[in-house]
Amino acid sequence: MLFTLLVPLAQRLAAQIPPDLERERAEFAEWLRSAPVSPFAIVALQPIGPGISIGYEPSDIPLPIPIRGFAREERGLVAVEVDGRRLALPRERIVDFEGFRLVASGPPGRAAIAVYGGVRGFEPPSYYPYNDSLAMVVALEPPERRGVFLTLGPEGAETQATEAGFVRVRTGAIDSRLRVYRLGGPDDEEAELLIFFRDGSSGHGSYPAGRFVVLSPGGTGQYRLDLNRARNPFCAYNSVYPCPAPWPGNSIESRIKAGETYRPRGAR
Amino acid sequence: MKLPLLVLLATAAPPEGSWRAVLDLAGGELRFALTLEGSGRQLRGRLCNAGICQSLTQVRREGDSLVLEMGEYAASITASLHGDSLTGFYRNVGRKGPRTIPFRASRGVWEAQAGTPALLGRWDAWFLSGFDQSPRVLEFRDGPRGLEGTVISNSGDYGQFWGEAVGDSFAIGHFDGSYVYLLAGRLAGDTLRGTFHAGLRSQTAFTATRSTGRPHLTPPTELTRADTSAPLSFGFPDLDGNQIRSTDPRFRGKVVLLDIFGTWCPTCHDAAPTLVQLYRDYHARGLEVVGVAFEVTGDSARDAPLVRRYRDKFSIPFPLLLGGVSDAEAVSAALPQLDGFTAFPTTIFLGRDGKVRRIQAGFYGPATGPGHEGLVRELRRAVEGLLHE
Repeated sequence: MLFTLLVPLAQRLAAQIPPDLERERAEFAEWLRSAPVSPFAIVALQPIGPGISIGYEPSDIPLPIPIRGFAREERGLVAVEVDGRRLALPRERIVDFEGFRLVASGPPGRAAIAVYGGVRGFEPPSYYPYNDSLAMVVALEPPERRGVFLTLGPEGAETQATEAGFVRVRTGAIDSRLRVYRLGGPDDEEAELLIFFRDGSSGHGSYPAGRFVVLSPGGTGQYRLDLNRARNPFCAYNSVYPCPAPWPGNSIESRIKAGETYRPRGAR
Repeated sequence: MKLPLLVLLATAAPPEGSWRAVLDLAGGELRFALTLEGSGRQLRGRLCNAGICQSLTQVRREGDSLVLEMGEYAASITASLHGDSLTGFYRNVGRKGPRTIPFRASRGVWEAQAGTPALLGRWDAWFLSGFDQSPRVLEFRDGPRGLEGTVISNSGDYGQFWGEAVGDSFAIGHFDGSYVYLLAGRLAGDTLRGTFHAGLRSQTAFTATRSTGRPHLTPPTELTRADTSAPLSFGFPDLDGNQIRSTDPRFRGKVVLLDIFGTWCPTCHDAAPTLVQLYRDYHARGLEVVGVAFEVTGDSARDAPLVRRYRDKFSIPFPLLLGGVSDAEAVSAALPQLDGFTAFPTTIFLGRDGKVRRIQAGFYGPATGPGHEGLVRELRRAVEGLLHE
């Protein structure tokens, strides 16, 4: 009994994982396991374009249900029509649909619709041992690009973004300059600063397409960059999601053995 | 093993009373007041920012923990109760992952701390993001509970902020169960510099100089436009399912205020008493007011009870209709003569000919002090002007 209590404690002390990171990982695992919109619950994600059908076969999104609806976007508003009845889908809200859940996302004119069922095939994320040399304080250099543009976020949805600037990091003996985006519209107060990067471990223990990490403001113009907090995009959990293309230039030559790991599904 | 646990529960202090509560954001502390009343299964609670409060939808005990539910926002605080302290987390769930912010509280009431006189008043601010900057107005004043204020954007105010000032530095916050805002900074000469914190770790730098009186924000009457060549056409079901249309005899030859609101929108709650007062003062002279609710689900069976509760809370005497889901695009689709709808609430003033004469986007709530009083006077003048035509 004492042994089983002490071993995890000893592992935690050895790894020196900050308590907030440990909690963040536990909460994220629980969210993946149980949230109605967990990446392990998604069954379809499609752009609406001129309109798509959802329901019994044949449909653009076939579902084992006795109804079929037609989703379209008009004047930026997404709705599903079923038997003359109109079901509005405000963006980023969960709407019940015959036991499934629908969520619309994307900027006006480019909406996409996600369909969620039950959580299937959940596996908790795994992580490299904590490496405190990869938690650093960085300065944000000015951006090169002006204006708002569209990009694919970690959750596979197209989103507005602006370039926030660049940070320089030294890992091992190698310097890298990484591009930072602010994901969210200009009036999105909770937009976060993110870096999507590839490194020497991509495809060799880390997700091949790259990983995201949040840049946390640390006051007085400094930012905290902790590569132990690097996470996989949702396409690593479920092939329903499109994978974002790596952001230009965001490549770290050395192997960043920190943050979330990856093993192909079926190899776990 | 069970005896010590029973003893622990039996001796745990009851949670009722006043609490000094804090959300620990990455960039600082956001403080607010938490009040718990009642006992057992009848526990109730409120979150307050300098006297402006939101009721919790449910308070319950689970073992030695308290769960404070904010149902409208799918959010909750779960905290362990140990003597005179509560520690835990605020959580709400989104599609991108859990949003979790550390929470703590200790028994007592926050001490009122006045702001330095040089800080008080109105400031024209720029929020800075990369190459972009967007305007805000900051207001600071001394209230009975200490330093108060608000942040105002083109679409209205962010609600009541409250906090402290020490020397030239200040930190005022707003937490209503959903919005998590902290405005912190320092007065350096004649310039305010600081950071606006939103959620756990989003931060936006700002600078501000004292207002000159010249307009800094886009006037709220210029944000949304309308086709004024024909009477505004609308038609929505009321709470009993009866269709109410702009062509109904009750609106013919009347001045009409069409208020687009949502029961989920704190600024709409701020605006409701003003609309009720306008209706009471001017209805006999030909004013009609109609509220159109755009709600979280857009499902009338689920929305109608929320709107009824809102009607009863503010003793609203005019009709409230169900417009659909709370989405700017949904409003635009329901009222296609509008162009550029951006803010809840938005009040559309119709002349006796049914045509749009003014569109008031957003609302300056009581948190804006003189801004609120000035707006109420302006709305009264606008209504009186239309009634005289």
